[in-house]
Amino acid sequence: MNTVANTSPAASRESAVDTRATRPTPWWRQALLTRATAILALDIALFVLFTALSDNGVFASSDNVQALLLAGTEALLLAVGLAMMLGAGIFDLSLGANLVLSSVVGARVMLHISTPAADGTYPHAAAAVLAGLLACVVTGAVFGTINGLLVAYLRINALIATLGTLGIGTGIGYVISNGTDLSGVPTQLQENFGLRTIGVLPVPALVALVVATALYVCIRYTRFGMRTLAIGSSFSAADRVGIKAPRHLLKLAILGGALAGVAGFIDLSHFGSTAIQGHSNDALNAVTAAVIGGTMLEGGKVSIIGALWGTALAVILQSGLVIVGVSSYYQLIAVGGVLILAVALDRLTYIRRRAT
Amino acid sequence: MRKGSAIAAEHVGKRFGHVEALRDASINVDYGEVVALFGDNGAGKSTFLRVLQGIHRPDSGQVTIDGKPVEMSSVRDAQEHGVDTVHQDLSLAPDLSVVDNMFLGHELMRSGPLGALGFLDRKQMAERTDAALRELSIALPSLNVPVSQLSGGQRQAIAVARAVMWSSTAVLLDEPTAALGARQSELVCSMMRRVADAGRGVLVVSHDLPRILAMADRVVVLWRGRTAIDAPARDLTVPDVVATMVGYAQETLA
Repeated sequence: MNTVANTSPAASRESAVDTRATRPTPWWRQALLTRATAILALDIALFVLFTALSDNGVFASSDNVQALLLAGTEALLLAVGLAMMLGAGIFDLSLGANLVLSSVVGARVMLHISTPAADGTYPHAAAAVLAGLLACVVTGAVFGTINGLLVAYLRINALIATLGTLGIGTGIGYVISNGTDLSGVPTQLQENFGLRTIGVLPVPALVALVVATALYVCIRYTRFGMRTLAIGSSFSAADRVGIKAPRHLLKLAILGGALAGVAGFIDLSHFGSTAIQGHSNDALNAVTAAVIGGTMLEGGKVSIIGALWGTALAVILQSGLVIVGVSSYYQLIAVGGVLILAVALDRLTYIRRRAT
Repeated sequence: MRKGSAIAAEHVGKRFGHVEALRDASINVDYGEVVALFGDNGAGKSTFLRVLQGIHRPDSGQVTIDGKPVEMSSVRDAQEHGVDTVHQDLSLAPDLSVVDNMFLGHELMRSGPLGALGFLDRKQMAERTDAALRELSIALPSLNVPVSQLSGGQRQAIAVARAVMWSSTAVLLDEPTAALGARQSELVCSMMRRVADAGRGVLVVSHDLPRILAMADRVVVLWRGRTAIDAPARDLTVPDVVATMVGYAQETLA
């Protein structure tokens, strides 16, 4: 058996890899040439620039770095969750609404369990905070489940489905909160978590970094990550080898939703109250951060590290412009410009490569 | 090598509403044999292939795999019987590496707790991919690049190698040379021969008559849902096949 194969020239070689016609790029060069690395370089350049321009280099002070990290925490949680969904080719416009709704439900639960006493103390604070955390995450996950069912099983275009749930979620959030921000959650929440730091690192930022690391490992080394990219790369190919794509998409939507719930909890613990008006652009910011970092909107490619540097870019620009005395409105312009530039450069390489 | 029939269909009929796609279609592919399935557009090639793939359940007639009658209702059923398909669009995930594509849906997991957490054993997957490609004398610049960076012929080779890897009885190929140039088509033909030599039955549906006729062992020509010719390839010429496909000489040849 296999006589033909055994006598053919390729079979006599040690390996099926034949690099004679190509010059393989060393791994360190590949890493240097990725979009994530380019954005990191931009982040560092901007950080140095703003430090040089700010009075006494206050931009690089530990207080400011802490503020930057805290400001990026919620955005990062949304961006990495969205990057995972984009990898499988689905979209979520409702993440900001999910964050708000989760924080409102969480706040209601905390206020229900722990009504501030007359002397300003909070009875059952620990129980209230834990129940609030659970409420936030469950609300986020349920929100994600609904999105997932609409997109994966009813086959509604993800843009439309999540545009719908964006409205519904925001509306329910307003109904539950009567349209005003809920405050009076236990102060222990801020003291022991929201504003707590380990060295220079705020604890909520640590949570977001742990999540991002886990997703990075998931995409690179696990079957779940590989199948996510397979579905985004070719739905029919994934389907034909027996992958249950709808179920996988549902899991991704639940994951993204639950992370929005965690972000909602962090919102509460950061400000000590809900911020129902403050998140209308969150979903689009998450898309921007993910796509700037190299995640493909069309699916098949996820860069968690890219989403991290993309989030950092928005935060550094926002804070840096304020510190050097320029209106933060310019941040929107700058981030929008970088987004288009980054994607345009990609398209150009793609078009040029196809032309040759 | 096993002897006898790898996959066969006898007197298969299949109707879609008022359309009788297949009336009396038969084919047999032995182990170690390359059988070509020809037919004009609308002759029922695709329907017949889908019956053999398990996608369509025949209204009448019988499909047998490894000599035993089978009832199939999905591609998965066919795969469980050791029959795998190389689709015309190849069904590869362009952003995934060669290794990941080879194992998509059949991933190897790490042993121990990491495996329980869903970690892939990419090392073993790469080794087995390398071995599977070598068995078909396929050489690629890298196994870790996304397949979108490879040429059409290389992608075709990966799709064939994957089907061989997950099949034990037969490999069905749908128009494997349609998107390829002359040299790459020749490579695919020699690869099909090696698949047959490795002990599978090979069934190829194609419009590329001269090339496939020259390399196949047997030829089946469908005409309006019937098997019009089932003969050794060496007894046929391209004009014979074309004449039957368009229906002129059916009486004299059949």
